[in-house]
Amino acid sequence: MKATTRRQFLKASAGASAGMASWLALGRAPAFAQKRELSLLSWNHFVPAADDELRKQAEAFGKQANCTVRVDTMAHLQMPAKIAAEAQSQSGHDLYRAAGADAFLYEHLHANVDDVVDKLGKQYGGWYPFSAEMAQTKSGWKAVPWFWISFPATYNMAHFKKAGFENPPKTWAELLSMGKTLKKQGNPVGIPISHCADAHSTYWSVAWSHGAKVIEADGKTPGINSDKTAQVIEWYKELFKDAMEPEVLSWDDASNNRFILSGKGSWIHNPISPYNAALKEKMPIADDINHHNSPAGPAGAHSAPPILSLAIWKFSKNQELAKEFMQYLFKKENFDAWIVASNAFNHPPLRHLADHPIWARNPKFAMLPKEAEYGHPRGWPGKPSDAVQRIDDNYVMADMVAKAVNGMPTKRAMEWAQDQIARAIKGQLKVG
Amino acid sequence: MAVTSRSIEAAGLHGPGRRVRLRQWWEQEHVFGYGLILPALLLLVCLVAYPFGMAVYFSLSDYWVGSPGPFVGLANFREILANDVFRQTILNSFVFTSLALTLKTVLGVWLAVLLARDVRGKRLLRGAVLLPWVIPTALSTLGWWWMFDSLYSVVNWTAIRLGLMNPPGPNWLGQSAWAMAAVVIVNTWRGLPFFAITVLAGLMAIPREFYEAAEVDGASQRQRFWHVTMPLLKPVLAVVVLFSTIFTFSDFNIVYVLTRGGPVNSTHLFATLAYQIGLQGGNLGQGAAISLFLFPMLAMVVFLQLRYIRKE
Amino acid sequence: MRRRWQATLTYANLAPFIFFALFPFYFMFVTSFKRNAELYSLKSIPFWIQSGVITDHYSFLFHRTEFLTWMGNSLIISVLATSVSLIIAILAGYSLARLRYRGVGSFGTAVFISYLVPPTLLFLPLSQVVSWLGLSDSIWSLVVTYPTFLVPFSTWLLMGYFRTVPREVEECALVDGATRMQTLWKIVLPMAVPGVVCAALFGFTLCWNEFIYALTFVSQSGNKTAVVGVTADLIRGDIYYWGSLMAGAVLASVPIVVIYVWFLDYYVSGLTAGAVKG
Repeated sequence: MKATTRRQFLKASAGASAGMASWLALGRAPAFAQKRELSLLSWNHFVPAADDELRKQAEAFGKQANCTVRVDTMAHLQMPAKIAAEAQSQSGHDLYRAAGADAFLYEHLHANVDDVVDKLGKQYGGWYPFSAEMAQTKSGWKAVPWFWISFPATYNMAHFKKAGFENPPKTWAELLSMGKTLKKQGNPVGIPISHCADAHSTYWSVAWSHGAKVIEADGKTPGINSDKTAQVIEWYKELFKDAMEPEVLSWDDASNNRFILSGKGSWIHNPISPYNAALKEKMPIADDINHHNSPAGPAGAHSAPPILSLAIWKFSKNQELAKEFMQYLFKKENFDAWIVASNAFNHPPLRHLADHPIWARNPKFAMLPKEAEYGHPRGWPGKPSDAVQRIDDNYVMADMVAKAVNGMPTKRAMEWAQDQIARAIKGQLKVG
Repeated sequence: MAVTSRSIEAAGLHGPGRRVRLRQWWEQEHVFGYGLILPALLLLVCLVAYPFGMAVYFSLSDYWVGSPGPFVGLANFREILANDVFRQTILNSFVFTSLALTLKTVLGVWLAVLLARDVRGKRLLRGAVLLPWVIPTALSTLGWWWMFDSLYSVVNWTAIRLGLMNPPGPNWLGQSAWAMAAVVIVNTWRGLPFFAITVLAGLMAIPREFYEAAEVDGASQRQRFWHVTMPLLKPVLAVVVLFSTIFTFSDFNIVYVLTRGGPVNSTHLFATLAYQIGLQGGNLGQGAAISLFLFPMLAMVVFLQLRYIRKE
Repeated sequence: MRRRWQATLTYANLAPFIFFALFPFYFMFVTSFKRNAELYSLKSIPFWIQSGVITDHYSFLFHRTEFLTWMGNSLIISVLATSVSLIIAILAGYSLARLRYRGVGSFGTAVFISYLVPPTLLFLPLSQVVSWLGLSDSIWSLVVTYPTFLVPFSTWLLMGYFRTVPREVEECALVDGATRMQTLWKIVLPMAVPGVVCAALFGFTLCWNEFIYALTFVSQSGNKTAVVGVTADLIRGDIYYWGSLMAGAVLASVPIVVIYVWFLDYYVSGLTAGAVKG
């Protein structure tokens, strides 16, 4: 078959089927009588009430702008497939919740939002740099940072007290020494060393605190094979042996939540969702749970909080409306209500919006905003990119640590990771 | 195909003479044959062959999700072959498929033989055995996941209470060998009913006289199984094994839900690695290369096996 | 006496299989009635419920999600896609099994080979086709795409079945002046009913369980299928709604279980001919 005939055929059959489809969808009003519809694809928020609030605001915006706003949500693990399908077929929602390096991966498929970012930045005292970098590509702002999720430590105060510790660990080294005692007491600590997102959130944090890198500042040179990384691996090895259970090798993102909520675990590195779940389910353990800032290391405290943003597809026919909607979500009263609905889970990427009483009011949340001071996008000190995303997606560092923990010499584990990182960089998306 | 498309045009024209001629034309064996297969062919060309062609094109170019790239020949294949994660995936896939397939074949035949016996409640028993195959995998695998959970594993809980394991029991999804065992178990659980029921169908088709004749000759139960049942089951088994090989090789859900390829990539299969690299990481070219890697080999196997089945 | 002993032996041998097949299902069933507190307690007994049976997970499913709509969608999609595929497969199967023309052998192989195309990435180009057809985000996108994996199997199964119908019956009908189509529809097809039922059951199951197309082609909650809806709405990041997930799994399997128990004999006899003569 020749290409032309195929195309003709497809065109003809597309027309026929589209006609049939509208006939089949009887009862739907003809297009011209319909209001404009704006659609947003988001994830299932880890705190369900936040989605209810989002839908409420979407409806309110719809009334105001004389349109309907549809908010579709799906499980976060299912989003990459859906977004890829929309990018490939050039159809779907108007805007979506972008995560990781989506702004870079789909740089030329996202609409520019410089004007929105600029306006909001001026209005609210500027963007936190770590959240801004995730959306700012060479060709401009390709997404509006929406919120970030603090990644503090969650610990069980009762277990720590029982072991004779009045205060939680301030450094990773302290965590190791306390963890040894806690494990003997039957309450090990837990950091996943497995194929899950949390495993890397923690790894970046630990590595930066030790002065180790994954990629050099130029963003093009693998930088994991170093003495600093060797220290990190040794720390992991000792923690694994003396302060954790082997189960951390099988963990998914939900396992550490269950670990702390079951009453067995004494310490995890995670967003505040377990505490919120315990409150919602009225579990007695909620009283014992508290949070503290991510521990520091010889090179200070650093953290790699997940950053979510809002991106508009270039194929969207409602780009201006989508921008209005974004700004509506960022109205002070709306954003505040959303923070409340998420029970302090959503952190604003804008400085002035961060002055919210919710953090000051609950002593267990009071330290959370401080996490912004040492947050970095993944890949730091290099810029975020799709290569960094792929290193994360391929669980390179988690596998490196797991190999070392299972007995591979540290040096060889690092060389393996270096090779994987080199591959991720080599097979990089060439924009242009 | 050209002939038939003309026939469609012809159908629009009226007139009595035409109609008779049209009918005569349509009643010819080859015209009728092509005519009947046309819908299936159209469907497969538009909705299978076209996407498949696209996938092949992805694998031969520097293609990213949503953005086509230049033709690069076999570079993607060279690149994935040089990566030890992929080489491990090949190994995993063969281990996984051969283990699961052996288990399913042996247990499936044995189960079918049992189900074929005329006992009370056999309908119910057959229905019960089919259940795992009927429940949506995406959901049942979640159930299994919970059963293998590191804290709440009901498997370990039971085995420890029965004194079969030392607490805390194996770390099912955290140690390479156990994790492979777990995905094989779940795949077997899921695929066994298809095997058993199809083989059962094959057993029912074996005429009773064959067994009676063998019994008269003084063959024992075991001899009857090996010399009557098995040879007659061969064609059925060949087909089931063929189908199952394809399904097992391309399994995605079980591994994705249970281990996401971990620990340390020891359970990655082609489909899960392709998803990770091609979709999450956006490198569609390499992802397509991974998922098409086995296609030539599988196609060859299918071709030969089909010829063998036809001959039988 | 010997007979009874044999029956006992058969039951004893079947017991582990039945246990293996049913235990996960039982476990999911129990989980769906458990209180969360008990579910997450390390001291509880996983096999049964100690702190009282609750139906909260089910009422959550019915009141806080669109579960019934999803079930309805699944039903419509599965029935339509299966019927369309069956018609196509009956025609193709008959043609491949009974008629002689050039290329019939390679068509048969082509149909089978299309099973080898890996679906993990196929959905991306397919999503383009769906978008060209103007079917994005509607259940029709699934009705149109599901036949791609139903037709090959059904065709293959029915081919085997049509071969078992004696040629003489057909020839008689043709001599009596019936057209070929009439012969197929009125003579051959009625004799192949078990095969058709079997293909329908198989197809229905595959549709009902399909995941990746249903996930990527449809996004409005009101258009989702049961399997996608349950997993998409009840997995919330690092918190899983285990009880409701399991409740959804149990309920979503019920229709298929009912159908199977009903048609099991047809299924077995349908596979008999199809598999043996394939």
